[in-house]
Amino acid sequence: MLHRGEASFIVSAAEVLFPGGGALPVAGVDAHLPHYVDRHLAALPRAKRLQIRALFGLFEHLTLLFPGDGPGGRRRFSKLSAAARVSVLSRIEDHQNELVRTLFMALRAVLVLGYLGHPANLNDLGLAPFEIEFAVSDAELLFPRIGGLVSSIGFDESDRTDPVSLGPLDPNGPRHRAYVRSGRDSR
Amino acid sequence: MGGSTTSEESGQTISASEDWVGTARERVRVFAQYDAAFEEEADVVVVGSGPCGAVVTYELAAAGHDVILLEEGPPFTVRDFELDGNLSMTRTMREGGLRMTRGTIMPTMQAIALGGGSLVNSAICVRPPDSVFDRWATGFDLERTDRAHLDPHFDAIAEFLGIAPTPDAVQGRRNLLFRDACDAMGVSSEPIERNVRGCRGSGECFTGCRSRAKQSMDVSYIPAALRAGARVMTSVQVQQIRHSGRRVTGVSGQVIAPFSGGSGGGRSHRFRINAKAVVLAAGCTATPVLLRHSDNLANASGQAGENLQFHPGAAIAGVFPERVDPQFGATQGYQSLAFLDEGFKLESLWAPPPLLSMRFPGFGPELQAHFGELPQMAIWDAIVSANRSVGRVKTRWRSLDPVLHWRIHPEDVAIIRRSLHVLAQLFFAAGASKVLPGVHGIADVMTRVEETQILDSEAVRPENLVIGGNHVFCTTRMHGDPRRGVVDEDGRCHDLENLYIADTGIFPQCPSVNPMFTGMALARRLALVLSERL
Repeated sequence: MLHRGEASFIVSAAEVLFPGGGALPVAGVDAHLPHYVDRHLAALPRAKRLQIRALFGLFEHLTLLFPGDGPGGRRRFSKLSAAARVSVLSRIEDHQNELVRTLFMALRAVLVLGYLGHPANLNDLGLAPFEIEFAVSDAELLFPRIGGLVSSIGFDESDRTDPVSLGPLDPNGPRHRAYVRSGRDSR
Repeated sequence: MGGSTTSEESGQTISASEDWVGTARERVRVFAQYDAAFEEEADVVVVGSGPCGAVVTYELAAAGHDVILLEEGPPFTVRDFELDGNLSMTRTMREGGLRMTRGTIMPTMQAIALGGGSLVNSAICVRPPDSVFDRWATGFDLERTDRAHLDPHFDAIAEFLGIAPTPDAVQGRRNLLFRDACDAMGVSSEPIERNVRGCRGSGECFTGCRSRAKQSMDVSYIPAALRAGARVMTSVQVQQIRHSGRRVTGVSGQVIAPFSGGSGGGRSHRFRINAKAVVLAAGCTATPVLLRHSDNLANASGQAGENLQFHPGAAIAGVFPERVDPQFGATQGYQSLAFLDEGFKLESLWAPPPLLSMRFPGFGPELQAHFGELPQMAIWDAIVSANRSVGRVKTRWRSLDPVLHWRIHPEDVAIIRRSLHVLAQLFFAAGASKVLPGVHGIADVMTRVEETQILDSEAVRPENLVIGGNHVFCTTRMHGDPRRGVVDEDGRCHDLENLYIADTGIFPQCPSVNPMFTGMALARRLALVLSERL
């Protein structure tokens, strides 16, 4: 979904929004953000997809109005040095106009979702979802998985689970295996 | 087996047979089953399967009426839930969860799934205080919309869903810190009553309860309605209410593919449902759009789509010296109603961390440092009774997505400021080492309670607040005077004999507390009245 220029912009923004050596194990450039954003865009309605892509395009050229420090500060955002990109983002973040600040918030939000949501980062913070066995309720008995036929439902009454009998989770209990595995892979 | 049974656990009286599951499955239609245009007949067609539509469907089916429930979204099973909070929103929310108001820019969401918002809300069930109903009665010529008349409906729903206070065993530290903070400041608080049975404290109400402890409509009222004989059609988008003179004759629309965004290439076969009565429960922002697309139906008063109100909410984060481990615990376990007279309600809150961290300041190492503090963090929020902040729902060309114009009133901004100040004080009372107020133009981090005073001052400008509003009301408000409201006290449109509305659009004003329970109580009353009239 993303073209090469958009992916390049995302990496260049991630590098300064989430530099390496911070509190989390995965740096912005290593968090596969173009892939995550691509997945996000693919799931969005067309109008919203266009808005987010327009946001990337706008930021790439916003240097014309908010140039980076140093020579060549009006080049495309992704072509600036890291220090110049930081200066551009600082100006936009602190701008007195609410709409300009909203642009910054929107860009940061799109990328934070993929960065902080990276399984290795969440797992490192102890904030990964718990490992929970799937329950079977009336919904699982009556409805197929999305896209399937009712005839594809594989459960019957004997599969039904009762959350009351399971009791509270252990706060220190195991976390979802995909997050744990990703944490190991990142090191 | 056969006949009527009562489930001891649920208190639900249902018609059971040896193979109720097989029989009920035959009454369900999902996207993969539609292979041609179709037309059906029913006593009543209900549009929208959220809490209000689900209650109406069940009550009418249980009374022996032939009911069809229509839902634009798909049913979700636990294997369809997405753990990533953002990707979950794109699948379960209209407009990918990115809907915004115009005027005052504020995110607002509406679910698109069988069960509606109940699938992805935190299951809070609160009865509004008498003062809310007094305000409604005097301002809107209502005679039977008070606690005395509605309590039997609240009670019946509470019994059906097992609504109960959140137990301490699943509160987790972040919810109990809220309780301790209120105790320390002499502010009343209580565990939140929720439609949950057997909560395990996974803190994932907003992405779908994998334990199926939350009694969302898809595991409670809708299965019960199917057992009682209702038919449920998912992935169908209602585009027109059909009418003739002062009567409606049914609805029509198209089948729509899951996650296709509600328009364009996702639409396929046409359908038509003919019915003796139509109940709209499409949601406060969708119902007026549907009325407009149906020849501006039910709008002699000019009030359809007007009077849009929200409970704008603001949240702040507190960082504690020790780990809070916020991932464990009920999503929202504690609340304080102590400030309702001042116009706000306080709650503890959890959500997927990337969504919560939107309010953190800065970028680079500063932002990452705040991420690193998340294990020591609690988030508390305020929802505000913004009665003075009013907007309207407008339609888009060739789309059923609404355009929401809304602007916050200065007096309501003052209430938000006051609520943020109280929340910040509560954090320090609970022992927080710092507070992140999430407001532009003032300190990013506060480390002493004395610094929090600025939150309740003009220094906090409206445009610098980060607010959100997912409680939406009043766009088809009830009013005793047909010239000033869209529906009467029973939810029937003043202009039509057999068109009813059963979503939070009929609230005359915002209810000051989480609206789901009130909406369901009003919907149950509507269903019992309609059942008598059929």
